[in-house]
Amino acid sequence: MTEPITWTCTGCALLCEDIQVFIKDNRVEKVEHACLKGKARVYGCKHTAISTVDQKEVDVNNAISQAAKILERAKNPLLYGWSNSTSEAQVAGIELAQTLGACIDSTSSFCQGITISEIMNKNVPSCTLEDVKEKADVIIYWGADPMSSHPRHLSKYSYFPRGELRQRGYEEDRTAICIDVTESRTAKICKGLFFSIPPGGDAEFMRALMDGLAGRVPKLSYDFDVKRILELAAVLKKAEFGVIFAGLGLVYSIKEEFDLISKFMDTLNRFSNFFLIPMAGHFNMRGFNHNLHDETGFIHRVGFTKNGPVSGVEYSVLEQLKHGTDAVMVVGSDPLASLPLSISRRLKDIPLILVDPCSNLTSRVADVTIPCGVSGIEVGGTAIRMDGRKMDIFPIVEGDGLSDEIVVRRIMEEVS
Amino acid sequence: MALDVGKFIKAPEYDIKIITHRDVFQASACEEDRFSDECLELSALIVLDAAEMKRMSIQDGANVRLTSKWGSVVVRARASPREEQKGLGFMVNGPWVNAFVSDETPDGIPAFKDIEAKITISKDGITGIDELLLL
Repeated sequence: MTEPITWTCTGCALLCEDIQVFIKDNRVEKVEHACLKGKARVYGCKHTAISTVDQKEVDVNNAISQAAKILERAKNPLLYGWSNSTSEAQVAGIELAQTLGACIDSTSSFCQGITISEIMNKNVPSCTLEDVKEKADVIIYWGADPMSSHPRHLSKYSYFPRGELRQRGYEEDRTAICIDVTESRTAKICKGLFFSIPPGGDAEFMRALMDGLAGRVPKLSYDFDVKRILELAAVLKKAEFGVIFAGLGLVYSIKEEFDLISKFMDTLNRFSNFFLIPMAGHFNMRGFNHNLHDETGFIHRVGFTKNGPVSGVEYSVLEQLKHGTDAVMVVGSDPLASLPLSISRRLKDIPLILVDPCSNLTSRVADVTIPCGVSGIEVGGTAIRMDGRKMDIFPIVEGDGLSDEIVVRRIMEEVS
Repeated sequence: MALDVGKFIKAPEYDIKIITHRDVFQASACEEDRFSDECLELSALIVLDAAEMKRMSIQDGANVRLTSKWGSVVVRARASPREEQKGLGFMVNGPWVNAFVSDETPDGIPAFKDIEAKITISKDGITGIDELLLL
């Protein structure tokens, strides 16, 4: 057996850096420590993408030239995806959007972008996953089920490990709490501290908890034992280092009054010491927010206009698909699988370019498909973990294709 | 020849709120092969409270049609191993649930966790990818 390589997994935004991969003849032979998602990532997809124009196989150079022509001709192109790309590819994409006067957006537009924005603007305190591992004694999974979405979250960072200040681990030193609409796999671990709330009931529960913290009797319009809220408030008050992992269940439920999160954290931190980490999904979703912010001051939904970059809901992928764009380039995403089909089906009617390592639903309708190497397997670079920490990622095998960064830069050369 | 009266009787429809979620088994199956039977089986699926299924006369493993203003699909119904809140159904993120998510997105975020639909027993097969994409 060959010596293993220590690999940083790009299966999700935990970016686990302790995976052992055994390589033989430039192929992955065995993987240790990875979860199911990580293994699926490292072994790769069964159907790799091929270079096509009008669904017919062509040389990759022809596909790149055709992509450049489509984008050049478009009056309002949209560049979308980016969460499965390295930061280097994202920066290239932002430059291309600027060159074209295009809109650029990522999956964070309808995911954790709103939470990351609050953290980047310092409205909500956050911490690193290492802080959680070493110090956290009270952990809340709110509208989040990491056992299903980020399988090593609890074992590597948030609940099971011994930490510097938590030497007795989960058995005595850590309290896990779950607030959700169903008793998820994560909720099952939070024995006795699972709080079942109705869909859309998060804001009310949060306000009730704020009342409990302030010593007032909580009021709720739905049936819930207020004694349990008072008991929960008491647990939170006693926390030495608390963390809330905000899942999409929470984010979607309170998106219309999202400043409630910062109010809640302010209230909580009058009594305790709590931080919030967004449960970002794709491995470099947060990287896109940081990189775009560095270039434009905005985290997503950006249009490059004659007067400079602007941001708003009208520049979001969904609004652009519905009303605006006349050509789309998708990088590392499958919008026909992940967006409402009533909106994403429009991709069949407008010129569509897909840059991706794998065949997917979107490649079935793309006018141009350009294969690229898998980030973190065949392509190295940097990425930003869900907690905002910058991570290096390294290729472990040599791929045949170009990286997505090179594809984007080649398109840019032809456009320029 | 005896007349099959049953085929003229419309199966009752029930209102349901669908909430999407992640599943590591579906995610890894679809990462490996988005067109595989395993990806389809784990995606074209709705999980319901067992008592609710009984109330709606839906057998565990039966096909059901889910319909909203924005689309209609047939998926398999499974009973949840735990008690769920009444009126809720759970579907993993993917094209089957996306087929009937609203296109109204004033804040740029679809209602992935607040999908109003009708559910009814169906004799049709699970909706295929080509049909979903209207290819």
